[in-house]
Amino acid sequence: MDPLLYVLDLIVFIGIFGMVSLSLNLEFGFAGLANFGKVAFFLIGAYTYALLSQTGVPFYFCLIASAIVSAVFGLLISLPALRLRADYLAIAVLAFGEILRLIVKSEDWLAGGDWGVTVAPAISIAGASHRVDALINIGLVYFCLLICFLLIQLLANSPYGRAIRAIREDEVAAEVLGKDRAKFKAQALMLGSAMAGVAGGLYVQYQYSVLPGMFMPMITFTVWIMVLLGGPGNNWGVLLGATLVEVFERGTNIAKDYFVLPIDPSNLQYILFGALIIFVLLYRPQGLLKESTIRSKAQRLAYYGRRAAKSKGS
Amino acid sequence: MEDVLLRVKEVSKHFGGVYAVNGVSLDINHGGICGLVGPNGSGKTTLFNTILGLHKPDQGEIYFQNESISHLAPHKIYERGLVNAFQIPRLFYSLSVMDNMLVAARGQQGDRLFNSLFLRARWQEQEKGLIEQALDILELVELEPWAFTPAAELSGGQRKLLELGRALMAKPRLLLLDEPAAGINPVLGKKIFQKLQALSANGLALFVVEHRLEILFEFASWVYVMDKGTIAFAGHPQAIIDNPAFYAIYLGEE
Repeated sequence: MDPLLYVLDLIVFIGIFGMVSLSLNLEFGFAGLANFGKVAFFLIGAYTYALLSQTGVPFYFCLIASAIVSAVFGLLISLPALRLRADYLAIAVLAFGEILRLIVKSEDWLAGGDWGVTVAPAISIAGASHRVDALINIGLVYFCLLICFLLIQLLANSPYGRAIRAIREDEVAAEVLGKDRAKFKAQALMLGSAMAGVAGGLYVQYQYSVLPGMFMPMITFTVWIMVLLGGPGNNWGVLLGATLVEVFERGTNIAKDYFVLPIDPSNLQYILFGALIIFVLLYRPQGLLKESTIRSKAQRLAYYGRRAAKSKGS
Repeated sequence: MEDVLLRVKEVSKHFGGVYAVNGVSLDINHGGICGLVGPNGSGKTTLFNTILGLHKPDQGEIYFQNESISHLAPHKIYERGLVNAFQIPRLFYSLSVMDNMLVAARGQQGDRLFNSLFLRARWQEQEKGLIEQALDILELVELEPWAFTPAAELSGGQRKLLELGRALMAKPRLLLLDEPAAGINPVLGKKIFQKLQALSANGLALFVVEHRLEILFEFASWVYVMDKGTIAFAGHPQAIIDNPAFYAIYLGEE
């Protein structure tokens, strides 16, 4: 295969999973919600996109629909889930993802069951090479990634970001200081789910098909590794984590085409990922890049302005 | 009735078979420092948590500014200006001292999802004023040099001061303080009470649990004495000191 295509393909994957890990960063890194059902919202976005694009709706409407439908499910799951303690929330949403996967797998009428359905690419140019296709996808994916990144970055440095971080730190204290924790958590889950949904739509149009087997729970755990490795609460770190994990994951898949090994390295991946999580949590629990503090020029200006005025006065 | 800011009426709260608070009634007036004392386990903190909405009372009603707040969520009670500082500080430890303060400001424009993204100019303008206000309070509690330090790096006493400062940031009408002077050096403890008294002269009402009676009795204008979940008696600090029953309750003498 064309080696450049490997690289372009890798870049697309980094973009798509970068988006999913950013969405988990909003939920877990900033709001402290242990969403172990990330793949569920990725799946909802993917199937929404696939089913809608079959009716001939333009791709941007499909992506917006993916975001909205995923957000609605994010809100629905938040209603019972937020009454649960963090560890039970994790179990509940993990089960939710598996239930959804089994539904699309067994309900043949919905989207072809186990066989899935084919999905047309968002933008296709007649007679274009694979390289051009990949470049178009890079443009589309990174445009969406940029929007997600800017949204989360703006949120994280606003009073809203301060409030959800406060809820993460101590939800009782935040509640008696006027933060409606249920509302903030539901919003974080909605927004995070919408982003994961868009990523799901982008993923299936890039793969030309949607199959239940694309939404195994391992996706959730891979995204968690990206966030934990990169640094929860740091958007750049999370993108770095996504890049490293994707390079490793895709790299081993490519390498096995060239090297003859006694075992399939894809199976070894899971063991290595498990070891990586343990290693990161033991030796660098804050991740590669530590949480970014709230950047506020106004705070610094006021503080140093005052000190300067004081030293002048004395 | 107009003068009563907080009215607790026949409030009871039990956990299992234990009545932590049993038929407590009391009034807090506008302005001034009101004390709440009693031995450990007498129900002071449970009473505070019930007023705050963290516990729903099993019986009785709580009125704040003549409206019942017994069934409101804690954040709604807070919005009305009833604010608390915990006995054991519950800070947002990974946030800076300044951000801890700013979280607590009431009526923020920017802590709504839509506003934070799309009405940036509006909340940024408000934020400037809040930062100045936070710096004033940090100066008051002597934490200004640590404004950008993560709260986790503060000492035990400084954490208590930030807990207090954060509560003041809300510009409360009534402030519930659970042992504000505990763990703080005596000079600063007294200084804090002096500053609280100055604030109370401007209309802030304070309801204070404190075991450092020599400080509390100097500043409080009225004191409730709690024992075994009930209000044993109440009065001016001098009357409390002169009452032999008070020593019996506090020191466990018969």
